[in-house]
Amino acid sequence: MKEFFKDNWKRIIIIVLFFGLCITSVMIGSLSGVTPSALISRDETAWDVLLYSRIPRTIAIILSAAGLSVAGLIMQAISRNKFMSPSTSGTTDAAAFGLLLSFIFLSSQPGIIQTIFAFVFALGSTLLFTSVINRLKIREAVYVPLLGMMYGGLISAVTIAVAYRFEVMQMMSAIGMGSFARLGNFTVVYIVAAPLFLSVIYASKFSIIGMGEDFAKNLGLHYNRVVFIGLVIVALISAATYVSVGHLPFIGLIIPNMATSFYGDNIKKSIFDLMIFGADFVLVCDIFSRLIIHPYEISVSLTISLVGGIIFMIYLWRGINGNKSRKTA
Amino acid sequence: MIEIKNVSQSYGRKEAKKTLSDINLTIRENKITALVGANGAGKSTLLGVLSNITPILSGTVTLGGRDVRKIKTQDVAKKIAFLKQSQQMSIRITVGDLVEFGRFPHCRGRLGQEDKRKVDESLEYMNLPDLRSRYLDELSGGQRQRAFIAMILAQDTPYIFLDEPLNNLDIKYSVEMMKIIQNLVTERNKTIVLVLHDINFAAAYANHIVAMKNGQIVREGCVKDVIKKEVLNTVFDHDFHIAECGGKNVCLYFDQVQN
Repeated sequence: MKEFFKDNWKRIIIIVLFFGLCITSVMIGSLSGVTPSALISRDETAWDVLLYSRIPRTIAIILSAAGLSVAGLIMQAISRNKFMSPSTSGTTDAAAFGLLLSFIFLSSQPGIIQTIFAFVFALGSTLLFTSVINRLKIREAVYVPLLGMMYGGLISAVTIAVAYRFEVMQMMSAIGMGSFARLGNFTVVYIVAAPLFLSVIYASKFSIIGMGEDFAKNLGLHYNRVVFIGLVIVALISAATYVSVGHLPFIGLIIPNMATSFYGDNIKKSIFDLMIFGADFVLVCDIFSRLIIHPYEISVSLTISLVGGIIFMIYLWRGINGNKSRKTA
Repeated sequence: MIEIKNVSQSYGRKEAKKTLSDINLTIRENKITALVGANGAGKSTLLGVLSNITPILSGTVTLGGRDVRKIKTQDVAKKIAFLKQSQQMSIRITVGDLVEFGRFPHCRGRLGQEDKRKVDESLEYMNLPDLRSRYLDELSGGQRQRAFIAMILAQDTPYIFLDEPLNNLDIKYSVEMMKIIQNLVTERNKTIVLVLHDINFAAAYANHIVAMKNGQIVREGCVKDVIKKEVLNTVFDHDFHIAECGGKNVCLYFDQVQN
């Protein structure tokens, strides 16, 4: 028993934290009537709020956080670049563009159609970006996300121009603002469960891909096929989360970096830790966003941007300095 | 048996810039074959072609009489193991995880009893059990190279191809590595082909040497046939001196040395 705790303490901490955060997340909100005692006494409003608002919200947080973390990890393994993620390679921006086109051509559609549009554009854009990056053979890993952000900036500039022309600016910016307060589209976030499941099945293959193309081919892996499946997973997760909860910046970038430094790069072993770690992080950010101006709340993407931005700067700084020290050595 | 016939290969579309042109070679079983030659002679490309990782422009590579391109990649991976120079090292995985990857062609990621036994045995053979849970980036160059060889052993293939296995190793570890490679041939009946930069390591440990220049095989044969002044002078475009030491030929290639 003692051995078990010693070997798994890193895992136990985040799981305990996870359950604690889930309960907290469900219990807080603008309506103060949802308390354990009200639930035990079968208060109808309390149960309704819990079942139709609080629990779906918490599930949406967990799924989108776990999904984006896994998407980032897969991108980083495929590109062998710790700075890759859906939000630093134009994937999220392309999903937004796809969503915009679905609005313009088909007007208001159920979430599933919007997700398909967003998915197709996210996948196409990611394939384009990764193949261009592979051809450029950039030596400094740090430049890849910077290029990706510029590329994403271009796509979102086009998106804004088109949205402005068709007078759907307001709706686009409302969706782009990452928030778990929106209901309605939450069902789309359940789509994330499918690519998450697929990524668990392919986990050991992604680990091997991360060791390099020759390494993977030596072990009899169909390199291009696995890379393609990986990018499909990434695009589907990015599209579904964008349509349902909007843009959650930095999650796909910083969570895999933090998680792999704790749990190692063997994706097969660390994928569940990664998902829970990502969920913990977003749950904390969301609870903070809901409590700071209680009973109102601020957009969760604001909190994530602030915290995530600082962490990203630290990684970027370490990446640049790390390269310098290696060169002088 | 691996045999390649009339193989040509080029990077890019220009036919004129061939990295390999019209190569014919039969790999000798249960021997160490060393590929030597100057930079850009095509040694690594040839090794990639032999292990079916680099696609070829023309010609055939046969494994046991069958065209490798017609054999399933997973089955090729059970016959041929290929290890490249300069492994990706920013990845944090443990020695144990790495060696378990070697079982992938056999178990597709789900390790059974037999796979676990092979992994333990490979770690044991390479003297690594103590380092099993250590991360690769925490190891010395020699230990890391041993971990990769343990992975190749777990892959359990009759053919092992190594691209510059002595890269970044100091003299002690290089000699240790070559002894391990020799033992693999004598104790495990492996067939090993390797690219070596240091001609003296080839002279001391290889059974068969293939000398390459500009994408072609200039000379192949046993050590005594290849380690000769006139052969090496043309292969490397450099003035060599061959000295004898303890019954073995040693190449001296420094300007100061006078015969």
